[in-house]
Amino acid sequence: MNEPLTIWVGAIVTLAVFSYLVKENAFYRFFLHAALGTTVGMGIVMTIKQVLIPNWYQPIANAVTGDGPMTGLLWVLALVPGSLWYFQMSKKHFWVSTLVSGLFIGVAAGLAFKTWMLLIMPQIGASLKPLNPFDGGFTGEKLAEVVSNFVFIASLLTALLYFFFSFSTESKLMGKPMRFGRLMIMVCLGGMFGSTVMTRLSYLLERLRFLYQDWIGRQILSLFGG
Amino acid sequence: MTRFFARFHNLDRRWLYLAMVVILSVPVIIQIPLPPGATSPTTKGLYDLIESCPEDKVILIDSSWDAGSAAENRAQLECVIRHICREKIKFVVTSAGITVFGPEFANQIIEPIAAETGYVYGADWVSLGYKVAPQGSISLLIDGICKDLHSVYPADHRGTPVSELPLMDRVRTHEDFHLVYCVTYQPDNAWISFVKGQFDVPVAYGCMTISAPGYYPFIDSRQLAGMLIGNRGAAEYEELNHKPGLGRILIMATSFGNLMIILAAVVGNMGFYAARALERNARRRAG
Repeated sequence: MNEPLTIWVGAIVTLAVFSYLVKENAFYRFFLHAALGTTVGMGIVMTIKQVLIPNWYQPIANAVTGDGPMTGLLWVLALVPGSLWYFQMSKKHFWVSTLVSGLFIGVAAGLAFKTWMLLIMPQIGASLKPLNPFDGGFTGEKLAEVVSNFVFIASLLTALLYFFFSFSTESKLMGKPMRFGRLMIMVCLGGMFGSTVMTRLSYLLERLRFLYQDWIGRQILSLFGG
Repeated sequence: MTRFFARFHNLDRRWLYLAMVVILSVPVIIQIPLPPGATSPTTKGLYDLIESCPEDKVILIDSSWDAGSAAENRAQLECVIRHICREKIKFVVTSAGITVFGPEFANQIIEPIAAETGYVYGADWVSLGYKVAPQGSISLLIDGICKDLHSVYPADHRGTPVSELPLMDRVRTHEDFHLVYCVTYQPDNAWISFVKGQFDVPVAYGCMTISAPGYYPFIDSRQLAGMLIGNRGAAEYEELNHKPGLGRILIMATSFGNLMIILAAVVGNMGFYAARALERNARRRAG
């Protein structure tokens, strides 16, 4: 695809999306549906090209033509569990599909278990932070670190208290720590929302740069000899 | 005065959108220099790690971003590639399981910088291209990359067998990686679990600002060696590189946008209180 056409299409689609800010309209809806359709179409093509042909069809074809080992023919057997997925469309025989979906869920659960163990265990260790400013000599930096660690541990424990344990908020003993935990969660969510705003601004900026530099600067102005 | 501010309480939000576009357009069209800010430890962590790369190792860059997150990932990849090329470190680029357009977008950034710095494709750097995650699991793909890169990528993105690429002779398993730098919208935690957790290779992320809060705990536990957070991270990295670029331009424009949001929040609140005061006065007169 040549560059000017790509830029013009990009600009029209960008303006179509921006038009939603003014009012919900058919121009916007058309491009929304076009984007969804393109994504689905791309997904199907990519699955065939990147997964089915090299991983399934090619070993079978190579075995048949003698370009690869005969064990490649075993891939035909993959059709059996693969076909079982289609039983999800039948109310009567739905249970057949659960045989293969169970297998997939088992594999996913095993991988998830390993992933989370490797992910979470070091964090539990990292949650144990020193609170003694005199350990290894007292300095201002050390004191600042200890204060930071204290805030971290207090936030961790009180957030867990608020989130995981269902004490009454009226409780004399647990009420205040729980309220502090809730406050810390609110601070964290506020920070996350700030990050969201930053990202949205970046998106807008990127589109504006595209419209000004690529579309107006390189395409429209060139039409007027600019 | 109260009446004037009360108008802002029910201001049509489209005026705000227009104001935001105008405010952001100014720094995009006219580049206003801003003084550099302080460098965050997350940025410094990645920079120092690249600086300490030994000659016999390579850096694996997983560039899995496309137009959807180019707004921040582009600058994050550009500044790191500039640094790597300046230090004459060899690198391999993959695009694991997220977007098929990953290699195309990455090469748009890498190829000009490589040409500028005299990097030879195949000898100094290699782009292995996109790979679909088997069974939809990126964990399996990452595990494969660490155990035997050649079996996962028998050919590069151009279709050249990896056996014909000189650089790939010395790059096969996790032992050949000095660092894995993953640039995408929201890097998968499997990079930390497998690359760092299982194989003990340092991992660094380049992610969108919106995704960053979820990764801070990994910085604290040293599971992540470094992280570039949005355009701010890119701008800080460019500062360390002594080569201002796209990150600097974008963060400056973002600062204008943030100021606009703060101003809108203040004015909106003033409008809210002004409208409430007018309502109270009206009730008092009626009562």
